[in-house]
Amino acid sequence: MENNEIAWQQELTRRARIYEDIEAGDRFEGTMTKLDYTGMTVLTLVLVVGFWLWGA
Amino acid sequence: MTDHVAHEHLSTLKTEQEVAARNRAAAERGDAPLLPSERLWGFWEFTYANSALAIATWAFLIGGSVGLFVGPKEGIAAIIIGNIVGVVLTALATTTMTGRYGVEQFVALRSQFGYNGSRVVYVLAVVILTMGWLAVLAMMFGRSIDGLMALSAGEAANPTGVKMIIAAIGAILLTWFIVAKGPTSIKFFNMVVSPALVLLMVAMLYLILSHHSIGELLSMPALAPPFEDKTLNFIVAVEVNLAAGFSWWPYIGNLARLTKNERTAFWPNVLGIFGAAALGEIVGLLAAVALGESDPTIWMTKIAGPIIGIVALLFVAFANMTSMANILYTSIVGLRQVGTASVRAISWGTILFLFCLIPFGLVIFYPQMYDGFFIFLVWTSALNSALAGIGIADYFFLRGQKLDMRSLHAPQENGPYRFWGGFNPIGLFALAVGFLVYVAVFNPQTLASLPAFKYLTASVPSCLAAGAVHYVLTRLFARGRGWGQYP
Repeated sequence: MENNEIAWQQELTRRARIYEDIEAGDRFEGTMTKLDYTGMTVLTLVLVVGFWLWGA
Repeated sequence: MTDHVAHEHLSTLKTEQEVAARNRAAAERGDAPLLPSERLWGFWEFTYANSALAIATWAFLIGGSVGLFVGPKEGIAAIIIGNIVGVVLTALATTTMTGRYGVEQFVALRSQFGYNGSRVVYVLAVVILTMGWLAVLAMMFGRSIDGLMALSAGEAANPTGVKMIIAAIGAILLTWFIVAKGPTSIKFFNMVVSPALVLLMVAMLYLILSHHSIGELLSMPALAPPFEDKTLNFIVAVEVNLAAGFSWWPYIGNLARLTKNERTAFWPNVLGIFGAAALGEIVGLLAAVALGESDPTIWMTKIAGPIIGIVALLFVAFANMTSMANILYTSIVGLRQVGTASVRAISWGTILFLFCLIPFGLVIFYPQMYDGFFIFLVWTSALNSALAGIGIADYFFLRGQKLDMRSLHAPQENGPYRFWGGFNPIGLFALAVGFLVYVAVFNPQTLASLPAFKYLTASVPSCLAAGAVHYVLTRLFARGRGWGQYP
């Protein structure tokens, strides 16, 4: 039982280290960029303002 | 000798594979972060999964409720505005962090509320929401069966009668039985129901448009507007849809952790959840207003005639069961994840049954909940909008989009997310402030509101207030006390 717990803690550490390495090397793939956030804001504003003017 | 070495090598390899499979299964359950290589969903897979979740019978109910306040033209505008704002803010608060790190949503919330605080949030946001929805969907099932029997016998339906209550209790018991058997049976229902619901929506839309032109439909009045002020009615309709958008907060983070990256975790919500939910609600709204009845179990029989009506009601009953099984399963998996050792010790079947007791009570003693279900929905937004605000402030502005996987998954008693006895008083205070701001601006029970409600809604100020309080108090007090490992 204790061995299992130790093995599981090691596995958690391994997984955490993988993310720490990705972070340290700035190797996250497919991160949201300024373009994504701008696109999201523009889309939301266009829909809100457009439908407000059309329907309200 | 060589054979012996090869055999030993094979045996070691097999053991390693078994351990890797076990670890991966544990990570899928949320015990550990999923690694990028373990995540399977791309953009379209997540869009499909999202759409399947959003296309449910509750979309008809929400659409019908919108029709009580405003006509179809204002209603469509309210559906689009409320849902896009709610879904985007909710997705920002949850899917970006779970999509980047593959972390379980309520494990990640330890960084915002503490390891015990995240349990409190789970009970408030997931357990209460799920119990309410279980009761509403069971009553919708009961009403479908009651309507079906009345149609077959050529009698008038009695939507709050004994038959409805018995059928609704039967629905909860059947859901309990399905979920107790495990996820495989639920998967089967999902594969059938989601595409069939799209077909049903298209068929309903066709039937509505074959009786009324688009111009005629758009100029129809609301069913029961509560105020003389049209703008106020419109904003209440927007608020109902904001609540619908924010109501995805407990669910989408944990779906997004199965996607390949942050961008794939975020954008499909706009296409899948927003698009699918808006489509279903618009069909529900048009049907409700065109037929003068907000309850889908009644307008379906009116629109389709007795034969198709019976088929449609049977299908709606079946579809409700699927939605009930989905939310019950997700909630109990999460409950065991955040629960204490004594909660985890309760058997799967027993904990499911205990969870169903409150929905039983609601069905038996409070069947009126169905007709005013939007009141319950809007109450949930008082919490969910504040949670979204805190999530955005914490992850984007306080932590610079960085989470520490090691600390989040290590034993918590002496870790950085211990805060104050496992609770982050700042996060919980911000949640309370968000909730109070909401209720002060707009009371979901009485629909009484401040003048500002007409310009700001209630969810948006609640989201902003909770986020701002969390940000300012964390900057002022958390760092000095060494709470929460803020940079």
